[in-house]
Amino acid sequence: MSDYESKGGGGRGGAKDKDKKDGDKGRRTFFRRKRVCKFCVEKIDYVNYKDVKLLMPYIPERGKIQPRRISGTCATHQRAVQTAIKRARQLALVPYVTD
Amino acid sequence: MSTASPTRQYELVYIALPDTTEEGLAELHTQIVTVVDRFGGSVERTEAWGRRKLAYEIGRQREGVYVLEVLNGPGTMTAELDRRLRVTDTVMRHLIVRVDEELAMAERSKVRRKSLTVARRLRRGLPAEPTELEVARRKEHEEDDMDNGPDMGGFRDRDRGDRGDRDRERGDR
Repeated sequence: MSDYESKGGGGRGGAKDKDKKDGDKGRRTFFRRKRVCKFCVEKIDYVNYKDVKLLMPYIPERGKIQPRRISGTCATHQRAVQTAIKRARQLALVPYVTD
Repeated sequence: MSTASPTRQYELVYIALPDTTEEGLAELHTQIVTVVDRFGGSVERTEAWGRRKLAYEIGRQREGVYVLEVLNGPGTMTAELDRRLRVTDTVMRHLIVRVDEELAMAERSKVRRKSLTVARRLRRGLPAEPTELEVARRKEHEEDDMDNGPDMGGFRDRDRGDRGDRDRERGDR
């Protein structure tokens, strides 16, 4: 706590800085749509690893698995998506890497 | 606990070489059926997906013939299938996945959701099942809801990539 205060005048963590960050956030939320878990909304109970069409939105160009913070998937379903993608990769249905 | 291993459901997907003939595929199928029979299992259904492009090359092949078999049987059966498929030259790749638990879980959550919906509707004094009018109205809504488009509300191009390294000086608060 005291550590935080002592840095007040520095470049980081000061009150001034905090204000700026809040402003930043406000600007960003302007663009951000509320993210919802697709699987909860559409009531998909089983994430099928054979369904490439279902998994494709979670694999951006590079071939990595889309993180939750971007897709908005809930923890339960992100885990399901993760195993499904990994299975689909073994069967060459989706790529491991693309460059 | 009984000593006999319990029957479970598995999905077996294998990718045969793209130039495998119909007879070759039939032979592979009979080989699998023989193994399954030996362990007292059964083949529930077989789906031939046919030739498909592979997402990446497997041993210089760009295409493969996909076959899915849904099997019931003990775990020892999958071990034997796995061993055999690995030494079969015409099969490039295979995957055996146990599905009974996952499907049961999906079924359970479906039933639970259904009963919750019914309970909620009854509490509001509505009939347990949605009426025809409601169904029609919901459909109308879905049509003008563009958020559920194929690109997931367009989050894809908002990917800012991986986060940079954490600032050391900040410590944890």
